[in-house]
Amino acid sequence: MMATHPYLLLAAALFSVGIYGVLSRRNAVGILISVELMANAVNINLVAFSRAQGTALGQVFMLFSIGITVAEVVVGLALVILLYRSRQDVLVDEANELSG
Amino acid sequence: MGLSALTWALLALLTPLGAALVIAVVVPLRRRGTPATWLSIAAVVVSFIAAIQLFSSQLADPHQLMLSTLDWLPSATGTMARIGIRLDGISIPMLLVLTTVAMCVQVFSLGYMADEPAPARGRYYGYHSLFVFGMGVLVLAPNMLELFIGWELVGLTSYLLIGFYYQKQSAARAAIKAFWVTKFADIGLVLGIILLFATTGQFGWNVALPPAWAAPITLLMFLGVMGKSAQFPLHIWLPNAMEGPTPVSALLHAATMVAAGVYMVVRANPLFAQSPTTLTAMAWIGGFTALFAAIVAVVQTDIKRVLAYSTCSQFGYMICALGAGSVMGGFFHLTTHAFFKALLFLGAGSVIHAVHSNELEHMGGLGGRMKLTSAVFIIAALALAGVPGFAGFFSKDLVLEAVQEKGLWLPFAALMIAAFLTAFYIGRVVFLAFFGKSSKHAEHAHEGGMAMALPMLLLAAGSVGAGWFGSSLARVYGLEYEFHFTPTGMGASALGLLGIGLAWWQYGRATRSEAFDFLAPIGELARSGAVDRFFEIGYRRGLLVLSSGIGWFDRYVVDGVINFSGWLTIMAGRRLKRFQTGNVQDYVFAVIAGAVVLAAWGLFR
Repeated sequence: MMATHPYLLLAAALFSVGIYGVLSRRNAVGILISVELMANAVNINLVAFSRAQGTALGQVFMLFSIGITVAEVVVGLALVILLYRSRQDVLVDEANELSG
Repeated sequence: MGLSALTWALLALLTPLGAALVIAVVVPLRRRGTPATWLSIAAVVVSFIAAIQLFSSQLADPHQLMLSTLDWLPSATGTMARIGIRLDGISIPMLLVLTTVAMCVQVFSLGYMADEPAPARGRYYGYHSLFVFGMGVLVLAPNMLELFIGWELVGLTSYLLIGFYYQKQSAARAAIKAFWVTKFADIGLVLGIILLFATTGQFGWNVALPPAWAAPITLLMFLGVMGKSAQFPLHIWLPNAMEGPTPVSALLHAATMVAAGVYMVVRANPLFAQSPTTLTAMAWIGGFTALFAAIVAVVQTDIKRVLAYSTCSQFGYMICALGAGSVMGGFFHLTTHAFFKALLFLGAGSVIHAVHSNELEHMGGLGGRMKLTSAVFIIAALALAGVPGFAGFFSKDLVLEAVQEKGLWLPFAALMIAAFLTAFYIGRVVFLAFFGKSSKHAEHAHEGGMAMALPMLLLAAGSVGAGWFGSSLARVYGLEYEFHFTPTGMGASALGLLGIGLAWWQYGRATRSEAFDFLAPIGELARSGAVDRFFEIGYRRGLLVLSSGIGWFDRYVVDGVINFSGWLTIMAGRRLKRFQTGNVQDYVFAVIAGAVVLAAWGLFR
């Protein structure tokens, strides 16, 4: 059986890529995709630990997590659409005032 | 009636308060004048009846003491002070004097103030009711703190009533002067009370002071007494206070409010008796004031100012007696003085009402036109001069004996000379005002009607009768006193008669002798206000310089610290606001950086 830490390294790399994307993207859609990458890195961790422990609990959690992530993306995209409607662009660094 | 002593006392105290509140709050009542007048008089009559009830029960059982108090000012270690009523042989007689004189004066004012506009009369009676309440609080107080509250209440009403004719600049200034001087003196009283609490842990007067503190505490309190009871050099406000309506002078600035100082010494005598230094100082200041004020009274031309200086002088007697350790002497003279001096002022008010002038030279020959006023004025004058049989004779005799017994020879000599001068100056007033040729002001003078006559008659009865009640008063007070003729008393009376005779020789005959021309420069000096000048210099050179120094400190040091910290905050805010960019990614970066730092800390700890 393959050791656990390659999965964890993959997950860490994926998470870091996600963070980099969140911090560096100006486009709200790009940020959402990066957030998805971070969420999936967490999912990989869940599955990897589940396999190392030999139980199905982590996999169950992973399925939950995917479901919730989907809902979150829906909300996030809705916000992006609203942002677009009010500003005609989706650049987050331009939208830095609450009153708009 | 079967009401308890406490009920009577509360009735005496709270009815005038109720009247004052109603007059203050119900504007139409005040504006229309007459309803306020009758409300106030009804309240003071209720107080008077209650005081009589209390006095008669005290006469029946002289040693009773009723103390009824509530917790007040709770603190971590129990109650700091209590508030309530103390009825005993000191407070009850004083309450009776207060309500009697207040009632007489309020009824007298019906006639005296009749020409005032209605709103002014409403205001006047509102102040009067408030005064009776304030003085009641002072008199019935069970501790120094509550006494002080009453003390300031009467100080306030004194200010309001001196400045009653506030459109007149001199009256407004006189009110401020009175307030200023008495507040200055009150600083002493406040410090004394604070020190009393700090050293003994209570506000009562039946406490043993630490020996080292006895003199400072009582001397500070005596400073308050000097301001209130117009003792030299803080007497300067009293002559100016005569700017108020004359009935006010009778009530506040002769009979009761200025007596508050003497009353406090009588009341808190257990404290004052602990410091021989203070007692000696009191005897000397009292003696000096008695003589000084009597000299100044001789040369005044304004009838009310003669009486004002006379009041200073008589309070000097009381303070001197208290300094000699004779509480009975001081208190007895306070009581009799309240009657005859209030009567003198009401008589003067009646004359002023008729002549429309305060100047003695505008009077003259009033005896024929105002028979009643001149009769009662002469009775009061005889009482003041200490002629045997009248009230002042008994009490002055007791004062003089007490001072003599203590061997305070210089104060005693001052008092004896003052006794002579007293008779001379009051004789001068009587002869100038009521005898001789009448001036053209006095030609149409007439009596002021029943409202003015009845109170004067009542007070005249007091001026004759109060002296005979010395032994009852002593019994109420818990002392023994029997009147007996002494060489001192006879000597003082002889001096008094001599003074009256001399006044007749100079002012009562058709021709004036030139022997008294030397008085003119003294008069000039007295009117120039040398003592006032002294305070003025003290004020300009001392207080104003000190104030501007403190002002500078406040503006540049105290405010500087505040302004600097404000500036610092603003600057810090300007720098710190850069962190709030509004840019989501900056926040995310901060969160992640924080997480990394925490993780690193967790790893390498």
